[in-house]
Amino acid sequence: MTPISLHIPCLMNMFMPKTGKSVVRLLERLDVPFVYHEDQTCCGLPASNAGFLPEARKVAKHFMEVFGDDPVVVSPSGSCVEMITQRYPALFEDEPEWKARAQDMASKTYEFTQYLVDILGIEDAGGKFSGKVAYHESCSLLRGLGVSEQPKKLIASVKGAELVPMQNADVCCGFGGEFSHKYSEISETMVQEKVTNFINSGADVLVMGEPGCFLNISGYVSRNHPGRKVMHIADLLAGPIDS
Amino acid sequence: MKIRTHEYMDIAREQLKEPNARAVLDFFPVILSAMRDAVYQSFEDPQAAIQACRDIRANAVARLPKLLEQFEEQAVKAGAKVVWAADSAQANAYIVDLAQKLGARHAAKGKSMVTEETGLNQALEDVGIAAYETDLGEFIAQLLKRPPFHIVGPALNVPTAEIRDVFLEKGVMDAPTEDPVELGRAARKYLRDRFHFLDIGVTGVNMAVAETGTIINVENEGNIRMCKSSPKVQVSIMTLEKVLPNMEEAMMVLRNLPRSATGQLISAYVSMDTGPKKAEEADGPEELHIIILDNGRSKVYADPTYRQALQCIRCGACLNFCPIYRKVGGYSYGWAYSGPMGQVLSPMLLGLDKTKDLYHSCTLCKHCQSVCPGGVEHPKILLTHRARNREKEPQFHGAGAPASLEARYRAFALAASRPKVWNVMIRGARTALNQKKQGGMVKELFGKPEGWFASRDLPPMGRPTFNQWIKEYKKHKK
Ligand code: SF4
Repeated sequence: MTPISLHIPCLMNMFMPKTGKSVVRLLERLDVPFVYHEDQTCCGLPASNAGFLPEARKVAKHFMEVFGDDPVVVSPSGSCVEMITQRYPALFEDEPEWKARAQDMASKTYEFTQYLVDILGIEDAGGKFSGKVAYHESCSLLRGLGVSEQPKKLIASVKGAELVPMQNADVCCGFGGEFSHKYSEISETMVQEKVTNFINSGADVLVMGEPGCFLNISGYVSRNHPGRKVMHIADLLAGPIDS
Repeated sequence: MKIRTHEYMDIAREQLKEPNARAVLDFFPVILSAMRDAVYQSFEDPQAAIQACRDIRANAVARLPKLLEQFEEQAVKAGAKVVWAADSAQANAYIVDLAQKLGARHAAKGKSMVTEETGLNQALEDVGIAAYETDLGEFIAQLLKRPPFHIVGPALNVPTAEIRDVFLEKGVMDAPTEDPVELGRAARKYLRDRFHFLDIGVTGVNMAVAETGTIINVENEGNIRMCKSSPKVQVSIMTLEKVLPNMEEAMMVLRNLPRSATGQLISAYVSMDTGPKKAEEADGPEELHIIILDNGRSKVYADPTYRQALQCIRCGACLNFCPIYRKVGGYSYGWAYSGPMGQVLSPMLLGLDKTKDLYHSCTLCKHCQSVCPGGVEHPKILLTHRARNREKEPQFHGAGAPASLEARYRAFALAASRPKVWNVMIRGARTALNQKKQGGMVKELFGKPEGWFASRDLPPMGRPTFNQWIKEYKKHKK
């Protein structure tokens, strides 16, 4: 099997290293060979979102230099993959050589669950969890990449897990990067609604495939509903680890 | 109308605490979007129907100048007078002048967003002509001197007790009631009395058909029809993107519009007018004036990235699906256009410098885009607004980013393109952040819990980070 090149989003690198380890454990369990470039930093999404395009270009170029020669890039983050596949080519309208590289990059980059299910044909990633699981449809996965069935299939394959419906699962949780800080009062009402729907769903855990949503929702839960569980999908699939 | 786009967050903060706005916003947009989804099922392939509408709009906008010429030619042939107005002042002056020549004491208006944009009511009032809104919601908003709350339901947030009070105060009715049907009846009677003596009626336009010179209006109350059929003189004002090539394409858009707007298969009334009353016809205006208003749109048309904003058909679906509109309501956007379509359009028409919050207060969730029958990619345009503002783009009045932000993103780009610097920076940030840890989580950063920390914790940064961990891990594996 061609080894995949693993991208660990900067938020995950900094704030969720355990989830990164879950991804690694999972790939090893599924016998998916991978390489990891230690020179990776960020995909440039924050600069692009803020309208700082020359800066976004600079970071994107670094990203492409790091990952450029690899056959496949896989990332456990819908928003990074959306940035790479949908915004990179547009960023380099005026630089044909980089545009070609960006298009190549876009064509070989996948979100983690998308790659497992659509490309490798894995529908059972293993894992154990006893209880009800609700799935939050992150905007970047659902509407950005059209990824929704894939993570749900993988959740359904976890032993002991029961996937339960949640109201407004497809409505934004209010993260939006800088939005959550700058428009915090609005963002708060959004994440509050998301968490209320989670609680009302009767699920034991809320699972999602996006580090941004994870920080937002788990941060709100930690402050307001300690004891409730929120997880990145890689952690659910890999099962608990200690270190 | 007064432009308050710079007060976005102040108004939003009030609205977030306003119990009636909360109740309405938790209810109506949710119901409307559910009804939209349900009624689209009447198409064999709902997605194809939406796509057809998007294609029609994109093609029409691409051919705008030609279609407008053709529309003018056909409308004139049918007996209408077509006038072009470069801006609000010109459009208003034309209507005021016409009303004065007729000696009109009042004018009736059918629901129209564009006269909100131009501030026509004020212009008429300034010369002593009373302008009556005839759409019930607009009528209530007008009496209360409030901007529209929603494009489709301009006053759906006003409690019946407040409507009762203002109706009594303004003499719309004399016996108090809170029964919605009675309130509607009182307004209807009050307005119908005014229709009897109507000299001039003003309406907007939902679609203009180039091949036939026809203007089409879509409504549920019948008041636009009254504005079109009662007076001797009718003025229909349209912005230049309203034109469609032919009836067949207009009908396809018409199949999408009420579905997306109100979750109806079709609205209660659709009126199509080609020219003024003909000799053999029983009713209709003797004169029909059609104003084609630019007000900044030709500049939008000329811009390849912005042009698609003109594909909007004003259905309001994007508002109903926008999770932020559902929280802050229509007033927060500070002008005639609210929700995602307002966030896209207002900065183009008013300038990027005056509308900063409109294009920044968005999580880019793409829900608006996914339901838009006009094919507008709102998030893409909002990102362009942000970039152009930062670049101080002159055409649309970019104001530049604050120095602190400039410094932040320059440093970010510098570090993120040099892995060593990046990792040193992360270690520095980690030390600073993790010092603030309380009970396993970071609860504030700057001395008080604000912004993110007002309602959320942040996990401390990983020691080691993933990057540090995997280095060791790989060594052990070998
Ligand atoms: S932008 Fe799209 S969804 Fe919003 S009002 Fe216009 S046509 Fe409707």
